Amino acid sequence: MTGARWSKWALAAYFVLFTAILYLPAILMAILSFQGTERLQFPMQGFSGHWWQSLFDDSIPTSHATEIRSAALTSLYLAFLVGALTSLLSLSLSMAFRRRFPADGVLFYVIMLALMTPGFLLSLGTSLFWQFMGKDFDWPGLLTPFGGLAAIGTGVVWGLPFGFLVMVAAWNRYDVRVEEAARDLGASSTRTFREVTLPLVWTGLFGAFLFGFTLSWNEYDRTALVIASGELTLPIQIFALTTGSVIRPDLYALGTATTLFILLVVAIVLLFFAIYVRRRLRAAPASHEVQVAEELGEVEGLDLPPETAAGGARAK
Amino acid sequence: MSSSSGPDEGATPKLDVAELEELEEQTPEEKALGSAAAGGKERRGWITAAWAAPGTLWLLFFLVGPVVMIILVSFWTPTLGGFEKTFTLENYRTLFGSDVYWDQLKDSFFVALIVMGACLLLGFPVAYFLTFKVQSVRNQVALFLVLLAPFLTSYLIRAVAWQYPVMGREGAINQVLEKLGLINEPLEILGFSRLSVTLFLIQLYILFMITPLFFMLAQVDRSSLESARDLGASWWQSFREVILPQTAPGIVIGSIFVFVLSMGDYGTTRIVGAGQVASVGTIVQNYVGGIQLPIAAASAVFLVLAMMAGVFVLLRFSNLREDL
Repeated sequence: MTGARWSKWALAAYFVLFTAILYLPAILMAILSFQGTERLQFPMQGFSGHWWQSLFDDSIPTSHATEIRSAALTSLYLAFLVGALTSLLSLSLSMAFRRRFPADGVLFYVIMLALMTPGFLLSLGTSLFWQFMGKDFDWPGLLTPFGGLAAIGTGVVWGLPFGFLVMVAAWNRYDVRVEEAARDLGASSTRTFREVTLPLVWTGLFGAFLFGFTLSWNEYDRTALVIASGELTLPIQIFALTTGSVIRPDLYALGTATTLFILLVVAIVLLFFAIYVRRRLRAAPASHEVQVAEELGEVEGLDLPPETAAGGARAK
Repeated sequence: MSSSSGPDEGATPKLDVAELEELEEQTPEEKALGSAAAGGKERRGWITAAWAAPGTLWLLFFLVGPVVMIILVSFWTPTLGGFEKTFTLENYRTLFGSDVYWDQLKDSFFVALIVMGACLLLGFPVAYFLTFKVQSVRNQVALFLVLLAPFLTSYLIRAVAWQYPVMGREGAINQVLEKLGLINEPLEILGFSRLSVTLFLIQLYILFMITPLFFMLAQVDRSSLESARDLGASWWQSFREVILPQTAPGIVIGSIFVFVLSMGDYGTTRIVGAGQVASVGTIVQNYVGGIQLPIAAASAVFLVLAMMAGVFVLLRFSNLREDL
């Protein structure tokens, strides 16, 4: 029917336009980072790698390379810690939610509250709370190279609802019968958990880690008021550069660099995931992985043992 | 949120996790006598509490504590160095009495509403396209990732990238419009203005609208859609009667996300609005900078109340708990 075809192409065109607009600022910024002068907008006056150079080389006069480098490292440390903790806490909380318990509704809403609380409010509250307790943001100091349990804390609070929801989805696909089978075969709870349960939900754990990592890497609001003095994260450093001093195209280079970095991280992760899933499917597929593969349309061409194929064909 | 919820059609019944746990923890006497005799339920309760403990403690310390603190401080008296713990309603009185504050609160509220509406209108066709017009799930996911990529970058970067190269006086938009002969002078309004803040917030948060819509649209019951078509319903009718009701939870969730995020946003208005467009977030920040913490706290509390009012209204449109 021409009606349906027309609507498909119209919507497709809309989608393309939409995506293009979304990508436009980033692309323009990337192009302008090669600007020949200090000009921030088009047209390009010459073509120069100068700004990229000043990003790394602090012997150039207007370069902020040292601050940027230290801020980037700080951000990286923080993001890793936040990711790992988000993953762990999402796991433990979602394990609790596998059955009903008193006040589970309240706990759920508190988790959602973490999602809804505006960042600056949390930042402000945490800074007030810690002052009230008489602790500064270097407490307990011993914990990390850059101090700052507060920054980790608020970062995890932001990532937790996302990680939690990802884990809930992972548990949804989970087949308890595999645990039962392990128990029947005599495995203890710990062993079952470690060798059966965890591997089957590792995708959720990984998703939670990714959420924690990317959210923390980009986070400004929540860290703004709780960062230990002298230890800036990258977004805070960028903010200082945009409001404190004259804006130059080296900011564009920085922006493009950080964007490429995070895209690279996510791309690598997805690649590993795809390779891992394919390899597992060839070896010894668990039914839920077959399910995922089916949904992704990857089942054709793989030789699956008949029983697993049947298990995987179970309707969702 | 237990992992089993009643028997699957025709499949072997899954053991409830709870039953499983009980079976596993029973001593031989318990197996013989039945678990009630040996307190099996208490063991289970302990384990659940142990699992919930770390996360709950973390949230108490890093979320509930700070929020309670803000509420408390908003009722305390400001001093030169900070505040002292004397109860007072003065902070709230100052806020309520300030016309400027009310104006800016209203502005934030309306900007958030506009952003929410725009995200819904602009985002729905995208989600619809992905779920109904793209065939394989793999392509849907791939296209979704394409949409996701820009959202992985820090919004400060996006704010800067949006502000100068695109919207600036000599930015891309103005230059194109000038070359096309549509305008003679650059449009100043694109620069630092409420319009630019609104547009920026829309493209910033629209993925939070598209994602819930995407998931809900994907779950729409295709057979009921077919029946509607077979019975002669026009596209608009089947949309209104079949698709829309089933997508309602997604619409509500997406709207809540976008509304809350827009109202609570402050870093962006700083850059994109260059301090000329005030939001409540900027107000709070200014108070904090001036170390008038109790008033900052009071305005933060009030902002959240305004937000909750909005969310409350939105929740009227769908009974989320039963639909999810």
